[in-house]
Amino acid sequence: MLTFPYRFALTLFAEDGTNAGTALAQCDWEPVHEWTRLNFQRTGELAPELEDESASILPIWETKYGEPYCRGFRVEIARPGREPVGWDFPNTYFKEFAGTVASVFVEQKKLREGEVFTYIVVAHPGATEPPAAAGLRVTNASPGLPMQEGSIETFLARARPEGVIDADDLPVFVSAQVLEQAAAQTRAHKGTETGSILIGKLWRDLSAAEIFIEVTAQIPAEHTSGSNVKLTFTPETWTAVDAALRLRRRGEVYLGYFHSHPVFEWCRSKACTPEAQRKCSLARDFFSADDKAVMRAAFPRAYSIAMVANDTAFDLSFSMFGNRRGITQPRGFYILEDSSHGA
Amino acid sequence: MGKAELTEEIELEISDVSGQKVFSVANAPAANTVGELINEVLPRMNLPRQNTSGAPLTYHARLEREGRHLHASERIGDALERRDKLTLQPNIDAGLC
Repeated sequence: MLTFPYRFALTLFAEDGTNAGTALAQCDWEPVHEWTRLNFQRTGELAPELEDESASILPIWETKYGEPYCRGFRVEIARPGREPVGWDFPNTYFKEFAGTVASVFVEQKKLREGEVFTYIVVAHPGATEPPAAAGLRVTNASPGLPMQEGSIETFLARARPEGVIDADDLPVFVSAQVLEQAAAQTRAHKGTETGSILIGKLWRDLSAAEIFIEVTAQIPAEHTSGSNVKLTFTPETWTAVDAALRLRRRGEVYLGYFHSHPVFEWCRSKACTPEAQRKCSLARDFFSADDKAVMRAAFPRAYSIAMVANDTAFDLSFSMFGNRRGITQPRGFYILEDSSHGA
Repeated sequence: MGKAELTEEIELEISDVSGQKVFSVANAPAANTVGELINEVLPRMNLPRQNTSGAPLTYHARLEREGRHLHASERIGDALERRDKLTLQPNIDAGLC
């Protein structure tokens, strides 16, 4: 359970330094909570079965000016009979919310359209309990991390890295066959977004004190509707995937999703020059707000990943995204030349 | 187990799409609708209620016992039995926006 001993607020300032107004921070704290828990489960400082621990969002006071000014916040997770563990996050985590507030202030004529603004974060003691639930008695009965034991060295020996590997990221191994299937599916739906659900296993290497992921298969997302700019996952999509996953009976779990970006089509509709297409920010490592929303609603666990096929006029490449320090970001992964069935 | 006609509240298990977030509801009011249950339980499960443009995100509840999606207007007491398992499945877009 996440508790909030302090209430955070953002004060925005216009380009000339004028105070544009203050808004109570209504952020999504789940990604930082999820990431912090997984981070300490990776290092063995939190038990892998831990799911309903007591955690708090605490301010980190600004060094020079002190309370109530913040330079960040800490997600602190309690451990029975031991010191809590915690991870510090900078004020940049509030950037997205600040943008939302700025949009409102533009409507209220407190900021000009397109005006560069700055913000500070303050915190004041608030309710120590989460908002009272109206009626329902709900308890978290989530299973712990669904892990199997294996050696990461065994995986690394037959893998090659793709993209930038960051030590903060959970290592992800993707079967080459999965990439081939995703590429084939993308080509078969040329010009239209298509997708699949990524399934596989979570492994724990006790000797290396590491947790890692193996994407063993992708289940094409049926009952979707796709256009050149959108792919809709319907309830029937999830039901079909669930049935396929059960039929496989391989102890696999949901790991995330894949979808294609028909970038060449986007560029063609805008009549972009070949040179512009090569430099286009949509051509690689682009993950839209809607793409992130799918992650948040369907794959909120910190180990969840998303893969995008960038189908440009020049080539087809893959990008991967995951939760790093509470924010969905591009990340590297390893390509497994052959799939394993027991490490 | 039987339908919850005679009881005011029933116990349910609700999970997200991935099955990795599972929550027990001890007292789902039999008189409420499935839609009301979903709306109330979403924030407790820390699942988003809106899409990126601020419009309500639609979730459908799939009843595992019968293998069907429940209609939002169905009454809990009519449709569900004690300890039924529901999966919340969003209708959601990936896209350029």
